[in-house]
Amino acid sequence: MNQTVEAVWPRRFCRLMPLLLMCWLSQPLLAADPLLSTTLTALEPVEAPDFTLQDMDGVSHTLSHLRGNYVLVNFWATWCPPCRKEMPSLEYLYRKYRDRPFRVLAVNQWEDPDHVFSYMGELAVFPSFPILFDRKSVVSEHYGVRGLPTSFIVDPEGRLVYRAIGGRDFDHPDVTGLIDSLLEGR
Amino acid sequence: MRCSLAFLLTFMLLTACSRSEVNNVDVTTNPDTGLKTWKTRDQAFSLELVPLLPDFVRAVFMAKNLPADVVGAISGYCVFGTIVRNQADVPVSYDMRTWRYITQDGVEHRARPKSAWVEAWREQGIAFRWTLLYEAQTYAVGDWGQGFTTVKLPPGTHFDLHYNWQQAGETHTRVIKDMACAPASLPDN
Repeated sequence: MNQTVEAVWPRRFCRLMPLLLMCWLSQPLLAADPLLSTTLTALEPVEAPDFTLQDMDGVSHTLSHLRGNYVLVNFWATWCPPCRKEMPSLEYLYRKYRDRPFRVLAVNQWEDPDHVFSYMGELAVFPSFPILFDRKSVVSEHYGVRGLPTSFIVDPEGRLVYRAIGGRDFDHPDVTGLIDSLLEGR
Repeated sequence: MRCSLAFLLTFMLLTACSRSEVNNVDVTTNPDTGLKTWKTRDQAFSLELVPLLPDFVRAVFMAKNLPADVVGAISGYCVFGTIVRNQADVPVSYDMRTWRYITQDGVEHRARPKSAWVEAWREQGIAFRWTLLYEAQTYAVGDWGQGFTTVKLPPGTHFDLHYNWQQAGETHTRVIKDMACAPASLPDN
C-alpha cells in the first residue's frame, strides 16, 4: 500500500481542482470595485483659494471665516451621477462631526438654486450642510477642478491638505478614520 | 517535494491565467437598445465605454442651456460615456491624445480633447466646461472620473481602440477590438 508521491499527486490534484477552478473563475468578480472609493490623497499643504458664495437662501458663506475648522469642500452638480451617489454619505459625515471643528461646503456647478432645490426633494436624506452656488464655475477653476465630483479638505490654517477626484463613500471607516485622526491632531 | 512543486506550478499557471483574464474586456449588450458597452478588467487602470445616441447627447447639452450650434456640433460626433478609474496602489496617468481609434479601412483617428471643446466654447463667450472627461490626468490611489469622450466618426462606425496609461514610469498599452459608435438612431420596433 505504499503509494508514491507520483501516484498520490493526480488524486490530490483532482480533489483540489474544483477549488482552484472556483478561485480562478472568481478573480474578475473579486477585482470588481464598488462605484465609490474610500481613500483621500494627502497634498503638500498649499493655501486654499478663498471664496464667498451664496447658499439657496441667499446667505453668503466665506471659506476664510471658517478658519479653526477642518472644511470639506465638495464640488458637485445634480446631473453628475457619482455626485448624487455620494451626497447621502456626505450628509452622514456632516451630522457625525457637526459638534466638532469640522464643516462641509458643497459647491454646486453651473446650476440655479430652484433646480437644485427640486433635486434635493428627491433625496432620501435632505442635506443640512450649506449648498453654495458657483454659477460660472469660477471657484472650481481656481481650485483646478477638472471633473465632478472633486473634494478637498482644508485644514484649520486654511490650507488644502487632502483631495479626492471622483465619488467617495464618505461614511466609510477609511474616511471617518482619517477625519478622526485629523481632529485628534494625530 | 515534487508534489509541492507541481502544485505550486499549477497554482502559478492558474493565477497567470486569471491575470490575463483581468485584462480582458467585458462586452455587455443592452437588451432594450441592442447597444454594446465595453469594460476592461485591467488591474491598474479600468476603462468603461458606453456609446451614446446623438439624440441623448443633444438633450444633455440642451439641458445646460448651451446655444444650438454648440449642441449641434457635439452631437455630430461619436460620443461615449466614459469611466476611467485608478485601481492600482500607486498613481496612474492617462493621455487620450495618444489613444488611437483605428477604423476598418486602417485609418487612425484621434479623440477631440475636452480642452479643444472648452477653448472653442470660451471663444464664444461660454464658460461651460463640464460633462466631458478631461483628456489627460494623473489619478492618485482611489481616484476616478466619468464624462463624455468624443471622436469625429460617423454613427455606427466600427473601430479598434488602442489605449494606454502610465504607471510607475512605464507605459501600458491595450486594444479593445471591434468597438462601435452608437447608430444615428435606434431602429423602430
